[in-house]
Amino acid sequence: MINGLVQLLIWQGLGELVSILLLPNIPGPVLGLLFLLAFLLVKGEVNQPLGMVADSFRQHLGLLFVPASVGVILFLPDLKTHALAVTAALLISVVLTIATTALVLKFFAKRAHDE
Amino acid sequence: MMNERLPIAEIWVYLSGSPLFALILTLATYQLGYTLYVKANRNPIVNPVAISVLLATFCIYAIDMPYQKYFEGAQFVHFLLGTATVALAVPIYRGCSSLKGKLVPMTLALLIGSAVSIGSAVSIASMLGAGDNIVGSMYAKSVTAPIAMGIAERIHVSPTLTAVFTVATGMLGAILAPFIMNFLRIKPWWIRGTAIGVGAHGLGITRAFSVNEEAGTYASMAMGLNGVLSAVLLPIVVNYLRS
Repeated sequence: MINGLVQLLIWQGLGELVSILLLPNIPGPVLGLLFLLAFLLVKGEVNQPLGMVADSFRQHLGLLFVPASVGVILFLPDLKTHALAVTAALLISVVLTIATTALVLKFFAKRAHDE
Repeated sequence: MMNERLPIAEIWVYLSGSPLFALILTLATYQLGYTLYVKANRNPIVNPVAISVLLATFCIYAIDMPYQKYFEGAQFVHFLLGTATVALAVPIYRGCSSLKGKLVPMTLALLIGSAVSIGSAVSIASMLGAGDNIVGSMYAKSVTAPIAMGIAERIHVSPTLTAVFTVATGMLGAILAPFIMNFLRIKPWWIRGTAIGVGAHGLGITRAFSVNEEAGTYASMAMGLNGVLSAVLLPIVVNYLRS
């Protein structure tokens, strides 16, 4: 477990370093993700400790954004005033996003099938 | 009387001053939420994150603890977001082998899907008169929370509101996705998975995995790829729109 965590932290560190020095527009962890992905593609396999840690992170990803989300307490008055705008924006946007993505893929799948 | 109460008061002062209290609060409320979620057969309405945030917010409000104080302790959990983002490389890698011949349609679908997501959220929110803070945070809400918050910092909007909107989006998406797919008569698992990964992030993935393995793999990959594409493109687009 520690082994997997160390691997992730090293890739994250590398990502942060490149983000600060070369690509300030892209968050360090995203660069870390890309480096790790490239490494995995070259290696051709996910070693077991890494796979284990990655799976537990995926399973409890939600826990990690609790601290930031509790900050909603600072924005409560603002959100209350604009409750309708926020609800409408989130609701309509999520329906459109899922529908559009699915329809675009369906279109391509159908075209590939017809050819 | 005084002698009996004093030690408790001292313990309280000690606890609320150390990071321990915020950590316990964060983890215990999440644990409670997760237990309820499992008990409810992983129904997306019983969202562990939403439960945890509600309870923790209520607690710090009730004891009058400033958010900054809470965050000083909870930041140890918050820090791991970056590490969790790096870990997303693993599901993307695992999905790569099934990607053959689908890379172009998937990338296009992700780009169009994200554009629709951002465009609709930002325009509806600003049309209905929401403030800059709220509208700004709608930009990054269409990707998984750890990446969304990284983007939020880059485009100078509130990471907090972004996180809250992202969690709400994930909940709504996970609840609504099956109905949308059935309505549109979309059957292939890989398409259903991809769409739910783009629309509902982490929660969508959990939902997808509980229905079908293939859908889950595609959902994980879609969420990861969408996050990477957005992290690269969003700051450029936003800077362009603002200039």
